[in-house]
Amino acid sequence: MAESMTFLDHFEIWLRAYLILSLFSFLYKDNRFYKLSEHVFAGLSAGYYVGLIWQTVIVQQLINPMFDEGEWVLIIPGMLGVLMFARLVPKWSWVSRVSLAFVIGNTAGIYLMNALHGLIFKQLYATMGSISNSNGFAGVLLALVVVVGVISTLVYFYFSKEHKGVVGVTAKVGIWFIMIAFGAHFGFTVMGRISLLIGRAEFLFYEWGGSLGQIF
Amino acid sequence: MGFWDKVSNIDRRWIYLMVAVATFFPMIVVMQFPVELTPEAVQLYEAIDNLPDSSVVMLTFDYYPSAMAETRPMSIAALRHMFSKDMKVVTVSNIPLGGPTIAEDVTRSIAKEYGKEYGVDYVNLGYRANYVAVMHGLATSIESIFKADFTGTPLKDLPLMQDVKNYNDIEFIFVVADNATIDYWISIVNAQYNIPVGGGVTAVVAPKMYAFVEAKQLTGLLGGMKGAAEYERLVKISGSATRGMASQSLVHFLIIFFVIIGNVAYFVTRKHEKGQK
Repeated sequence: MAESMTFLDHFEIWLRAYLILSLFSFLYKDNRFYKLSEHVFAGLSAGYYVGLIWQTVIVQQLINPMFDEGEWVLIIPGMLGVLMFARLVPKWSWVSRVSLAFVIGNTAGIYLMNALHGLIFKQLYATMGSISNSNGFAGVLLALVVVVGVISTLVYFYFSKEHKGVVGVTAKVGIWFIMIAFGAHFGFTVMGRISLLIGRAEFLFYEWGGSLGQIF
Repeated sequence: MGFWDKVSNIDRRWIYLMVAVATFFPMIVVMQFPVELTPEAVQLYEAIDNLPDSSVVMLTFDYYPSAMAETRPMSIAALRHMFSKDMKVVTVSNIPLGGPTIAEDVTRSIAKEYGKEYGVDYVNLGYRANYVAVMHGLATSIESIFKADFTGTPLKDLPLMQDVKNYNDIEFIFVVADNATIDYWISIVNAQYNIPVGGGVTAVVAPKMYAFVEAKQLTGLLGGMKGAAEYERLVKISGSATRGMASQSLVHFLIIFFVIIGNVAYFVTRKHEKGQK
């Protein structure tokens, strides 16, 4: 790769390396290089998203279908979108509630169906059937752990009865399951963050190092 | 100040330095750590491997460039596996920033190695806003959502898309994601349209996904760089994930060491403070 690099390739690699190193420099202490890179990132992201939303939502899903394909019915959601800007004028801000009501109703309906059919029911069936569907002693044991974990965790989040006696013991078992889950999440998160560091380190070592080697 | 007091009050920048050394060390002194296979990774591999040759599969690039270290090797390994079985690949992205471009870059370079032709063997649909609507819409008609591919070519001009009209024409969906879109691939596409979905996700997302694997809502799972390295091993390639596992393992050893020594220092100094009182 290093042999075929043009000036632009080198420039891109050095720019990326500069941004990475200046952002990492924050680990030592806050400094101007870090601040500059942070502001560049924030500005670029904001600009990119404005352009992206204009192109992928306003142009592709509103203007083009209306003017190229005659889907004039889209003027209704378009107007609902415009009404959202009424929030900028305090006197007329109540008008935006019409759009918000539509968004909330629509979102609640779609997401409720997804959650019920796709998540809650399927997970409930799997939990209830886990013991009968498992094979061998180890399988049944693991399925029992799942069932005990689900029930005890649910009991922990049941606040209408004081956590005393059987309810208290079950809730304590639930806390253990929750803590183990937090531990697993934390372990995976550490692994993920280290992976991101490795990605940047590999770039610096192989690509920037390759560019350095070619230049010097 | 005793040794354990010094350990308790160590400047965190020394820890950063040691993590950096552990990260770069295996790149300087080439090291390799064994990559053990998990049942979830094998399940995903077998689900794709058992599909008939020339099947149509969908591969998603639902990730931002920031997560590339974990997810890009998964996409590369998956494409090599799919193209080696002469599968037809339709790529799509529900992430606007990075996903479609990475899909274009990765798919074209891997396809070139296998002599695959764009439009005939693979198509990059690109990105459309509002992924929940996109996922529902693809069930009825892909062309109603994506009138053109990523480069603007109308789908009616792409031979592959003449046979792929909706989910019914797709045998398997391999979701590579770094965020919640995989939840919707499961709760919408798998649960409501019965399409088998496999997952390759970042380590942060992975723990939540095990419940879906257990419930058979997800056919196999790759978690983080380790999952990517497993898939690389399964398709018999040595990619960036396999290479990165040496650094990953060393840093993990270092963190475990820090956790142990930090706790010992805490208890020793606390005991010492209690003794002084």
